[in-house]
Amino acid sequence: MDLGRGLRLRNPLLVASGTFGYGVEYADVVDIERLGAICCKGTTLRPRQGNRPPRVTETPAGMLNSIGLQNPGVDAVLERYAAQWAGWRVPVIVNVAGESIEDYVQVVRKLDLVPGIAGVELNISCPNVGKGGLQFAIDQDAAAAVTRAVRRATELPLIVKLSPNVADIRPIAVAIADAGADALSAINTLSGMALRRDRSGPFLGNTYGGLSGPAIKPVALRIVYEVAQVVGIPIIAIGGVTGLDDVLDFLAAGAVAVQVGTAIFADPTLPVRLVDELTAECGRRGLASYRPLVGTALPGRTGAASSRGVEYRP
Amino acid sequence: MQLVDAELQESRQILPGQWLQQYHAPALAAGARAGQFVHVRGDWSGLVLRRPFTINTADPVTGTISIHFREVGRGTAWLTRLRPGERIDMLGPLGQGFQVDPRSRHLLLVAGGLGIADVRLLVDEALRDGRQVVLLYGCRDASEVYPSSLLPDEVEYLVATDDGSVGHKGFVTDLVLEYEAWADQAFACGPLPMLRTLAGLVAGRKGRLGVATLGRKRGGGRPVPPGSPAARRRSFLQVAMEQNMGCAVGACLGCVIWGVDGPQRVCREGPVFAYDEIDWDATAGPGTHAQ
Repeated sequence: MDLGRGLRLRNPLLVASGTFGYGVEYADVVDIERLGAICCKGTTLRPRQGNRPPRVTETPAGMLNSIGLQNPGVDAVLERYAAQWAGWRVPVIVNVAGESIEDYVQVVRKLDLVPGIAGVELNISCPNVGKGGLQFAIDQDAAAAVTRAVRRATELPLIVKLSPNVADIRPIAVAIADAGADALSAINTLSGMALRRDRSGPFLGNTYGGLSGPAIKPVALRIVYEVAQVVGIPIIAIGGVTGLDDVLDFLAAGAVAVQVGTAIFADPTLPVRLVDELTAECGRRGLASYRPLVGTALPGRTGAASSRGVEYRP
Repeated sequence: MQLVDAELQESRQILPGQWLQQYHAPALAAGARAGQFVHVRGDWSGLVLRRPFTINTADPVTGTISIHFREVGRGTAWLTRLRPGERIDMLGPLGQGFQVDPRSRHLLLVAGGLGIADVRLLVDEALRDGRQVVLLYGCRDASEVYPSSLLPDEVEYLVATDDGSVGHKGFVTDLVLEYEAWADQAFACGPLPMLRTLAGLVAGRKGRLGVATLGRKRGGGRPVPPGSPAARRRSFLQVAMEQNMGCAVGACLGCVIWGVDGPQRVCREGPVFAYDEIDWDATAGPGTHAQ
């Protein structure tokens, strides 16, 4: 699969940013080289301590998190992990967050041409920080501006991650595609909250958190379905994937690849198992590739554009 | 760290709402150290997260480990219904355990309520290594007192209850003063206010504690980086901390508490910390939200 500018994935199962650290944390129990790609923890220009605890809590069919982009900063990330990543067969896509366009551009400039960095996923949609980019995700002009600025700063494959916390995602997705993004990923978490047991106040240290897990899959499916009908670049679906049926749903709705996130916490071996299950499913249907599975649920002409570059053979 | 299938061998309620379960998990029993934990997943539906439990006891000979927990929600309720012979998925052993100085002869263990589960394996390890152990245990009333039958005879076991129905009337921390001069090292787990009180006690007497056999007064030797095993061994008090947890392997940064140098992952830098690594004013404990 080619997500643009030479970002070729051996399979369409990725692990989502924030759920897999820097790829090293689960290496004892997961054969990470079999993943399609790893999206690392959100990375910012300067180190960030993140939000006050508690930061996570389980909710019906999901969880809330308010990590707040804790990370050691781009320089430390490169120093600690880039050499290791360069030795892996699995591509590592660096998730980039910032407070200003200049922040994003500076981080991406540091990533450009570094061996071990296969691509960039722009996190313009973190709901958990005061100034963490969500302002870029809810306004089509701002989204286009940050995408264009980053596009000018690097030749790295550029994925932009969409927020579900908007009324209509379509004009924003179109603006980002027109501004030069190679692919879109959708969706980030939904803004939510929980109260303390005695209802004396918010439970999370940050008041608000991002909802993820199976609870948000219908929302993610709707957004992938909508975006696939208006853009001509590949879409990577994220949101509540826990099994092969979810993968097949997202492909049918127009996604060309899928990220597994929250489900990893329960079962770290799930993404690799889904690679095998998708291969078996293609075999069962007599398909040489999963390309025919993409966009089958879209109305009218199926999203020819969204399946561009699918080269994966089971 | 390994992902293993653990078979339940024995399950019993040892106190109202508190359960002790023994699992056959040789790979975990072989490598487990006191203070470490397992991250557990049952064949339950509707729950998206694993549940972390301290390794309460571990026996490499029989290949078993035990966990001790209170039934507080759907995950733990599901576990209480598990039958011997049934299996659950365990990821472990995880985290940094307690650091015992090889020279320590006298260990003071302080546990509040379910915090006993965090220091229980340390009792076994310390006795095996020929050390003396005093265990101070605090709880609300007589109905919650940890059964002494579950402890080795060699342990000196003292109880404090809030209502005085058993042992000392008052806080378990009241009992510490009597033993602090005797102890070479202290290890604690329990509610945050208890740990905060202990940290305050120790901070006020820094230079005079742990001198019984370790000779701490004669300088501390070479400087060691804070948070390192060596630094923790030198600290008079180590505490096992709790926090709501996501991945338990250091990837999600969900389980942090606040340290003097910023956020610390309970699952990786902890669960055991030296008392002076923690910013006690900024640290909020775990909990569950309203449904």
